[in-house]
Amino acid sequence: MPVMDGRELRIVGFLCNWCSYGGADTAGVARFDQPTDLRIVRLPCTGRMDPLFVIKALLSGADGVLVSGCHPRDCHYSEGNFYARRRLEVLKQFLPVTGIDPERFEYTWVSASEGQKWQEVVTKFTERIHTLGPAPVIADAAERLKAANLG
Amino acid sequence: MRIGVFVCHCGSNIAGTVDVVSVAEASKMFPDVVYATDEVYTCSEPGQKAIQDAVREHRLDGVVVASCSPRMHENTFRRAIEKAGLNRYMLEMANIREHVSWIGKDKEKNTFKSTELVHMAVEKLRRNQPLVPKTFEIDKTVLVVGGGVAGIQAALDCADGGLDVILVERESSIGGKMAKLDKTFPTVDCSTCILGPKMVDVAQHPNITLMTSSEVDEVNGYVGNFEVTIRRKATYVNNDLCTGCGLCSAKCPSKKALDKFNEGVGQTTAINIPFPQAIPKKAAIDPEYCIKFTKGKCGVCAKVCPTGAVNYEQQDELKTVKVGAVIAATGYSLFDHTRLEQYGGGRYPDVVTSLQYERMLSASGPTGGHIKRPSNGEEPKNIVFIQCVGSRDKSIDRPYCSGFCCMYTAKQAILTKDHLPDSQSYVFYMDIRAPGKLYDEFTRRAMEEYGARYVRGRVSMVYPKDGKLMVRGADTLAGTQMEVDADLVVLAVGAEAETGAPQLAEKLRISYDKYGFFLEGHPKLRPVETNTAGVFLAGSCQGPKDIPSSVGQGSAAAAKVLALFAKDMLESDPAVAEVNQRRCVGCLKCVRTCPFGAIKEIEARDGSTKAEVIDTVCQGCGICSVTCPHGAIQLKHFTDNQILAEVDALCLSWMDENYA
Amino acid sequence: MSRLDTLKEQIRKALPDLDLVIGWERGFDPFHATPFHIKEEADIDRLIFDATCVHNLASFLTGLAGKKVGVVVKGCDSRTVVQLIQEKLIDRESVVIFGLPCTGVLDKAKLKAAVDLTRVSALDVDGDTVRITSGDETVEKDLKDLQATKCDSCKYPNPLEFDHLAGKPVEPHGDEAVQYDRIKAFEDTPVEERFDFWVGEMDRCIRCYACRNACPLCVCRDHCIGDSRDPHWLSQETDIRNKWMFQLIHAMHLAGRCTECGECERACPMDIPVLMFKKKLSSIVKDLFNYESGVDPTAVPPLFTFQVDEETINERGW
Repeated sequence: MPVMDGRELRIVGFLCNWCSYGGADTAGVARFDQPTDLRIVRLPCTGRMDPLFVIKALLSGADGVLVSGCHPRDCHYSEGNFYARRRLEVLKQFLPVTGIDPERFEYTWVSASEGQKWQEVVTKFTERIHTLGPAPVIADAAERLKAANLG
Repeated sequence: MRIGVFVCHCGSNIAGTVDVVSVAEASKMFPDVVYATDEVYTCSEPGQKAIQDAVREHRLDGVVVASCSPRMHENTFRRAIEKAGLNRYMLEMANIREHVSWIGKDKEKNTFKSTELVHMAVEKLRRNQPLVPKTFEIDKTVLVVGGGVAGIQAALDCADGGLDVILVERESSIGGKMAKLDKTFPTVDCSTCILGPKMVDVAQHPNITLMTSSEVDEVNGYVGNFEVTIRRKATYVNNDLCTGCGLCSAKCPSKKALDKFNEGVGQTTAINIPFPQAIPKKAAIDPEYCIKFTKGKCGVCAKVCPTGAVNYEQQDELKTVKVGAVIAATGYSLFDHTRLEQYGGGRYPDVVTSLQYERMLSASGPTGGHIKRPSNGEEPKNIVFIQCVGSRDKSIDRPYCSGFCCMYTAKQAILTKDHLPDSQSYVFYMDIRAPGKLYDEFTRRAMEEYGARYVRGRVSMVYPKDGKLMVRGADTLAGTQMEVDADLVVLAVGAEAETGAPQLAEKLRISYDKYGFFLEGHPKLRPVETNTAGVFLAGSCQGPKDIPSSVGQGSAAAAKVLALFAKDMLESDPAVAEVNQRRCVGCLKCVRTCPFGAIKEIEARDGSTKAEVIDTVCQGCGICSVTCPHGAIQLKHFTDNQILAEVDALCLSWMDENYA
Repeated sequence: MSRLDTLKEQIRKALPDLDLVIGWERGFDPFHATPFHIKEEADIDRLIFDATCVHNLASFLTGLAGKKVGVVVKGCDSRTVVQLIQEKLIDRESVVIFGLPCTGVLDKAKLKAAVDLTRVSALDVDGDTVRITSGDETVEKDLKDLQATKCDSCKYPNPLEFDHLAGKPVEPHGDEAVQYDRIKAFEDTPVEERFDFWVGEMDRCIRCYACRNACPLCVCRDHCIGDSRDPHWLSQETDIRNKWMFQLIHAMHLAGRCTECGECERACPMDIPVLMFKKKLSSIVKDLFNYESGVDPTAVPPLFTFQVDEETINERGW
């Protein structure tokens, strides 16, 4: 598996405590092997997920950001993921114009019982980020532009 | 701040794939960390004591525990640091077991990842605030949804414990699936005889309000203060007037109504009382078959009713009740046997489901307890039972074992022999699952004493031939094909989530699995709790269960409610939203998006509009925090700054390392 | 009576009941207009209206809460007023709206490219013709070539909400598709180029916040999270990352709210095309939720509500 060889990339996960965080626990309890790149930030609900956290992470050096919450209709707070779905979809479609590769961001729904699905999601997303490679670095781009302007 | 970091070995669970000693060592480099160590079992008594000692000795004001999931032990460690004098919210956990040591074997990477998770936790903890819960009053009434044996048991136990109970049942009588059974395994005692008295107790208990033909329409509120709207569906009979005399159904001219209680075996009248022991014993009209409803005229039942209870104009009624806790006991449904065409269910009249067969066995059933072939009314001689119909079958998305089918099939084979001594039973099975007290002995009796022939193998097809049903299957132990000429085929249909279960779960804000069964708080340690405070589970709505387990869970759920209600006041989670009044511009977007109505509009001293959170109503979801563009409303314990600090800990340091 | 005279008459009648009316007066040269407050009748004579009146005067409304204010608006500006009413940021009862149908406003950068502005002594717009006098020389230009980019795709030249309307409504003259074509063309370039493009633009940003201060919907004012430590979204460094983050925060906070008045981009002293972000968000919101901001004062902005089943969102079930 290409993901596991060589160096890690930086993938940040924002997970709802009630579903996906539990799903990741379930995957762990079942000893489902997963790539190690992902670091998980626990949120009380995807309703707490400000799409700006995604941008913040991607501009700060993350190579990929994954958000996962409860399946729609299955929110612990009844409506959180409904708001999240709108906010995150808008973000997903917004990223292309900002110069950030939208493939570096994904959102999905995994419940606490879906350990296997969590394993699939992590593996697939990590593979995707490794295919994309490290995210472009602002400082490098600035250097490039400076060189081009001088030349 | 002075932070202590405790890295857990969890025996070899973590230490096997994470170098915990170097994680602890590396943690000392993080800001404000003044003490770091590793513990073999942090959650054990000596482990907790080590934390408490360190808090005192090193004057710690915050603790990071790197161990298992906070979903597992957050409360344990919160209590531990509280005992050492810290506020319980000055704890953060790094999940280095479920999210690290158990999912990868590369020790170097795991160690690095663990260190980073500790770093995140430290950065978050540096921004934690001590939080103190508020208390609020509770309504000590419990709502039990579902009047099967689990719901009945839960209702009775709560009521005996002194609570007011509202028992809601969708059908016109309580009793559920158990009321339909003839006998129960492994004792072969009469189902109605043991359930009936409990049903009567429900009806007579001064603390229980029974609402039949009713469903939960809407649920609002939170633990201690739920507001539930219950819809009583029109039965066209006034229950206050109906005496259950049965005159209406005796005179009803529409005699071909679907007999739901008898699983469609036989027919009933359009107005009927489902079974003799029904509680409450009240008639109800099935408008699909009632001539008054289908043709517009008839009205016989209204004429003969001595109390004038029949009312064709009756409408659904909505009633709102206030309760402090809810027990969901909605039971299960049966696999649709017509889906597996090879068995001929629905096509051949002599292929019946196990529950239809149960009704045939019952003395109060449509055949008066005589086993007859539905096609011609004759007594069958060869009876074939097919196991795992809709269980343990991936191809139809039913990979799970329904648990009780092996046992009820053995029971039915025994009863068959009792009813028809000349009969021969065949049981096609995959494995025998009989893991209860006296269960395996019972199955053996079916084979050895009652001569049921158990064939290990699957049936490939059932087809009619000369008035019989040919059952073709494999005998995998003998390694041969075999064919039985059966007079009757009984399909041991598996359990499914009750129809409407996901919808109820959504109303209760609890989770359900992909099959529609409700999700318990923890598969082992919180089997009757849910992740929503104040909502409990009992019986097969959580997963297929036999009667003793359902009853046990009913009692367990009741015990949980009684424990919850033992206090007069509950403590609210202090991790709620808070408005920074100086930043609030009063646009009230937060009020608009709050699902709980927990934010109100207030007038500040200068006359300007501001938002304010009602602490005890706020559930802490954080939707408002994202709605507010200027960050004026922050969810405590998950503030923008805390989450940003975690992001920075992960990303900025990464960037520095890779690109500095 | 000319359109301006009608407007003056309307203001004259309404002024006694108002604390002030916000309008435009001639600026320090012929191609600048300046917002000003009409407080007494004598001020009314200073009022002007022509293609130099670029400012969205609705930007001042939230800062004048508690006063009874009149405001002069073009079609595009009126959407801002509608949006402010919808978000309850201003009270409809305390605002009197003087609406003007608009045929387009000038873009100073385009004007500067067309003629030498330092010697201009007079500028006059007559229908679609812009007549520019420098010394003795007068040149005529087509307004279409000099108008603000937002006017190219203008869909609402006539005010959507008003108490008084001066002049006859005009036919929409913009092509709505144009703006999205530009974004599409940008999005079709390789993502590396887009990244580098914005790095270059953000490098030029001087973090002056003119964009924010000109934005009529940036109502946080002193509590902008660009300046705050709690929450601490940005540091005060002027590095590219912080400046880029700020622009994206600004844009995301306007998702489903921005009325595309273009004040952010017009106010930018570095000519950074920051309106592109907001235009894109508006098109997303239109596609996903069939919603346009600043049109219906009773509508709910799409990010403050939801549907249980979102037909337009492909849920990522993987």
